[in-house]
Amino acid sequence: MRLEINNITKRFKQKTAVNDFSMVIDANECVGLIGPNGAGKSTLIQIIADILYADHGDILLDGQKISKMKEQIGYLPQYPNFFSWMTAFETLSFMGTLSGLSKHDLQEKIPLLLDKVGLGKEAHFHVGTFSGGMKQRLGIAQALLHKPALIIMDEPVSALDPIGRREVLNLLKEIKKETTILLSTHILSDAEEICERFVVIKNGYKIEDATKLELLDRYHDSAIFLMIRKEDYSWLTTIENLPYVKKIESCGNGFKIYVNRLEDDAHRLLQHGLDSKVVFIKFDLGIQESLEEVFLELVV
Amino acid sequence: MNTFLALSKKEITQMTKEYKIVWLPIVYILLGLTQPIMMYFLPAILQSMGGIEGIMIDPSMAKPEGREVLASTLNSQFDQLGIIILAIATMGIIQGEKANGMMAFILTRPVSVSSYINSKILIHFGLAVICITLGYAMSFGYTSYLFTAVPITQAFLALVFYCVWLLFVITFVAMMSTYFNNSAFIALISIVVLFVCRFCAGLHPLIDVINPASNSLYATSILLTGEVEFLYCFNIIVTGLLVLLMVAIMHNFIAKKKF
Repeated sequence: MRLEINNITKRFKQKTAVNDFSMVIDANECVGLIGPNGAGKSTLIQIIADILYADHGDILLDGQKISKMKEQIGYLPQYPNFFSWMTAFETLSFMGTLSGLSKHDLQEKIPLLLDKVGLGKEAHFHVGTFSGGMKQRLGIAQALLHKPALIIMDEPVSALDPIGRREVLNLLKEIKKETTILLSTHILSDAEEICERFVVIKNGYKIEDATKLELLDRYHDSAIFLMIRKEDYSWLTTIENLPYVKKIESCGNGFKIYVNRLEDDAHRLLQHGLDSKVVFIKFDLGIQESLEEVFLELVV
Repeated sequence: MNTFLALSKKEITQMTKEYKIVWLPIVYILLGLTQPIMMYFLPAILQSMGGIEGIMIDPSMAKPEGREVLASTLNSQFDQLGIIILAIATMGIIQGEKANGMMAFILTRPVSVSSYINSKILIHFGLAVICITLGYAMSFGYTSYLFTAVPITQAFLALVFYCVWLLFVITFVAMMSTYFNNSAFIALISIVVLFVCRFCAGLHPLIDVINPASNSLYATSILLTGEVEFLYCFNIIVTGLLVLLMVAIMHNFIAKKKF
């Protein structure tokens, strides 16, 4: 389903959490909402989930007001909270009934879903005994239970261990073919894996909205990453003075060499190195910055 | 309707798990027992406690009639300690779920605000009615045994009027629970307001018409005189309207997401 967010503004007493935020998510698209702490991610997500009221603007799902389309939405709060006296099975059964699923349906679906999120063995344990990660899994299960067309998740994998993260990411990959997903996160490697598109939010403003490729392209450096033996470090001082080398930066165990025209200059540099009998351990062309670096560049 | 049933079922299960369904009736049964037993043994208690010098105990004074005892169960047990206990038992009715985010979470589902509020109020009202009826029945039994019998129709009518007051009590506490975030404060303000209402009852006929606590007063006067006046029905209507108004205020408060 197509989600339209039109000019959302939300003010709290001291600050404006979301400022004139607009975006459109097409059906079956998976969008990652990223931003530093306090950027307004959760506020925006809560407005979309119809928990908070926006001061201005509206949110439409397939042209309808979102408050009328609640059966199509699956929502996972940042810290899912459940009735501690219910078992995992009862929780899902309760939530499912509220979404209008029949008893028969629930009996069938719940065990399968619990298995999928890795709570199969804990189905009849009380939620009160669950750890944070287990609650998160249960929260994901309840968001998926009624097969919503739109899933909104606030930090779905932040509280999970690596195994849980893998399971949940696989689960999301599985459903994303037929579901529109909006998730907020600050763990970029996870978002990178399932989202095609990223929206960066900072201080309530949308500062970037691009697909992963666009983002990486835009912040693509014409630089060469190389690693050489310690003995050859003196060579670096000689190349520093070459006309086509703009700048040398040390980076991890190696060096980043910024040049003007990547391919030609790389060739010349490599030749120069071989002539000087330098042993290259690594020679990488055109460093693609990771999403994390792009993110840092954007928000800091 | 389906969501209303699911929410009501959840409320009942929650009451069972929290043992509220056990301890609240027990408390009311004890309250109901206290009044007839205490009044029956009052002369003996006074005697054994000493300090009878200079006090003359008139045996005919010390033995009131059954309907007086039953009436005093309502207005000195249920209307005092009873209301305090009820306010404390229901203070978290909405505040609890508001604080841990469950209310907002439930409302992200296709659940109407009214079915949420109605399920809460109706189930808690139901429990309160059951508790009061049990306590009242105990009091009725002991009164008939220790004092004189009370006509059952009068006793029943009085109970009905008392339950109207009870509906107001529950709705009022629920409304406070929607507004405020501190459970102790909710209990305190509910108790104060309800007590003020109760004390104002009977002061002036005009105030009585709009005062929901008059229902409690009418219950006792039905017991004492056995008569039902036309004015009483009017008060039921006014109380009903007040309850609807409070539900509407709660609905508005939750729907506008001011919590």
